[in-house]
Amino acid sequence: MDEMKRQLLLAEGVDVDEAMERFMGNEALMMKFLLRFPQDENFAKLKQAMAQGDTAAAFEAAHTLKGVAGNLSMKTFFRQVSDIVEELRSGNLAEAEAKMPDLETVYVKTLDMLRQLA
Amino acid sequence: MEENKENLLIVDDEEINRAVLANIFSGEYHIIEAEDGMEALEIIRSGADSLSAVLLDVVMPRLSGIELLRKLSQEGLTNRIPVFLVTADSAGSTMKEAYELGVMDVILKPVVSYVVHRRVNSVVELFRARRRLGEEVERQRDQLLLQTQKLAEMGMGMVEALATAIEFRSDESGEHVHRIHDITCHLLSSTPLGDGLSEEQIKLIGLGAVTHDVGKISIPDAVLNKKGRLTPEEYELMKTHTVRGAELLSKIPQMREHSSYQYAYDIALHHHERWDGGGYPDHLKGDETPIWTQIVALADVYDALVSKRCYKDAFDAETALTMIREGKCGMFNPRLLDYFCREEPALRGYYLRNA
Repeated sequence: MDEMKRQLLLAEGVDVDEAMERFMGNEALMMKFLLRFPQDENFAKLKQAMAQGDTAAAFEAAHTLKGVAGNLSMKTFFRQVSDIVEELRSGNLAEAEAKMPDLETVYVKTLDMLRQLA
Repeated sequence: MEENKENLLIVDDEEINRAVLANIFSGEYHIIEAEDGMEALEIIRSGADSLSAVLLDVVMPRLSGIELLRKLSQEGLTNRIPVFLVTADSAGSTMKEAYELGVMDVILKPVVSYVVHRRVNSVVELFRARRRLGEEVERQRDQLLLQTQKLAEMGMGMVEALATAIEFRSDESGEHVHRIHDITCHLLSSTPLGDGLSEEQIKLIGLGAVTHDVGKISIPDAVLNKKGRLTPEEYELMKTHTVRGAELLSKIPQMREHSSYQYAYDIALHHHERWDGGGYPDHLKGDETPIWTQIVALADVYDALVSKRCYKDAFDAETALTMIREGKCGMFNPRLLDYFCREEPALRGYYLRNA
């Protein structure tokens, strides 16, 4: 992987080396899923479900996001979405909502970074 | 080379999860993917034996990983295919239930590739070795059974050879022991006389009948093959073949350990006892003599009557039956006599066949 890409990813809290190891050094496969992240609808679904007070749907979307972020070693995003998943699992919709702005900040920055990579 | 690869089933509703796992194992396995528990269940049911392992996500639509696991466990499939639960949820309850349902291991997401790789392959290798070992044990067991059977047949062959050799000495054809065997087994299998006896027991009794006269080996030729009546002294000596026969059998360790021994011993000792206590050597009365020994006694008398012997000519079957009924050869169990007469026409077949 070229160094510039690597630095961009590291800057947004993506542990590239760990992700590469998970993908067994298959950079093309890892990049395919990384670049697909912006199209993932679960962030939008999560926001919408929270706005509608639908804890179950919010949990489902957050859980899926957590899985994707985990696989791609998006460490910062993963940590924050995991917190939200746990709040939702316990039914604490308000606490989860309170954590959304921070998540959205990271989300937007990650998407910007991925646009540069593409 | 593709067809030589073993199958690995990956069950996850998220494409990225399937892709990560498939990427780890596609070098060694042919990967099959399912998007939920339902789809996985169909694949597993249709070809359980062709699957080397199942990697199973927990949270899925339609049928969750735990629900699928419950079904597999109920059908005993978790014993045949190693199932791995791949979960982001490290909470104790899911893991505990999964292990109770028979998963081989629980792997936490996001996965660490070399850990998953090693853990899955170790278990697959374990199952492979277990299967190989199981097949080997089965093969050896079959071989052992075959050898045991051969040995048993050889043992029976030796017993028969001994009995036949002794019959030859007393100037009989050697067919006598076979007919006694056949008549005894016939009456036990075809009449209520054999009620409560298994097929195997009847076989052992038949074998015991074969050696009923082994004691005759101790009787001098002059007495054994004497033409004409025996003197009282000679008759007393002749009668000892019962006790001597039982003694002889008890002195052969291989015979004593044989499952037919208890029958053979009693038959040799008591096949000259009679219903009214008029027989020898122990003057047993009625059912003090076991039914199978009573049958051998009657068969022995019938066979002697319808065969030519050194001391007599052959009687025809009707005459023989009349003589037996009239008690000319001692008293027999009336119930046994009834069944014997009923079956007698069938018994004649053994004489025609062996003639």
